[in-house]
Amino acid sequence: MSEQVHNRLAMVRAERKVSRQSLAEAVGAHYQTIGYIERGQYNPSLDLALKIAKYFGLPVEALFSLEPFRPLTDEVYGRKQP
Amino acid sequence: MTTTRMTGYDRSMLRLMNDPRGRPLYATAARRRLAVAAHVALTVAIGSLMTYFYLAKAEPMWAVVAVAVLFLPWAVATGAINAATRGLLELRERALDERQSAERSRVLAVSHRVMTLLLAAAVAGLLIAGASGGDALTAYAAPLLVAVLVPHWLMPLWVAGLMAQDEPVEDEGLAGWPRPSVS
Repeated sequence: MSEQVHNRLAMVRAERKVSRQSLAEAVGAHYQTIGYIERGQYNPSLDLALKIAKYFGLPVEALFSLEPFRPLTDEVYGRKQP
Repeated sequence: MTTTRMTGYDRSMLRLMNDPRGRPLYATAARRRLAVAAHVALTVAIGSLMTYFYLAKAEPMWAVVAVAVLFLPWAVATGAINAATRGLLELRERALDERQSAERSRVLAVSHRVMTLLLAAAVAGLLIAGASGGDALTAYAAPLLVAVLVPHWLMPLWVAGLMAQDEPVEDEGLAGWPRPSVS
């Protein structure tokens, strides 16, 4: 029944230079849970998704989406989808 | 994980269950399966020796010594499985996060289904043995009860050990970086 939720967590975390452990401690989760979310093996609850988004100061839809994210370079440089 | 309500015991158990020193014992799926297989074999051996000790007319002390010797590797295997699951079954609910709580429920549900099949097989076996005549029903009832009680106790541990997943790839390089503040 679980739908695939796509996320940009690994990319944002690397960009902000935040370790899994630090993020996990900040949002009250286990560091493995962060890893499983990044690998798409676990879909976080709305509560956890909002906490992660708040930690990074981003709207939740910037991190999580039901549709696959476009490559960041496409978004930055405005390339149209083929 | 609701850290605010955790006691000192919860925190010490959390540290213990997440101690990375035992990682070589459970780093791969093959090693976790080996740990579970060893635990099952040791449990069977210890259970058999204890049953023999209680049923034998002359109490054989060598059986007690053998149980004491086997208990050490059994405890090590138990620790390895618990460490592989990061204390999924040992930690209190409040020390687990939402994924771990869901995982624990899944493990207990699978264990329940396996134990139902095992109990059904044990009852069927006992009834068939009883129907074949003699005093099989009364003679085997007590040992069989013990034989299913022990798996009932340990099945969640075995299932959790087999269902544990590989560690997400580490990002040690980020460990020391500052974190953004939560607004």
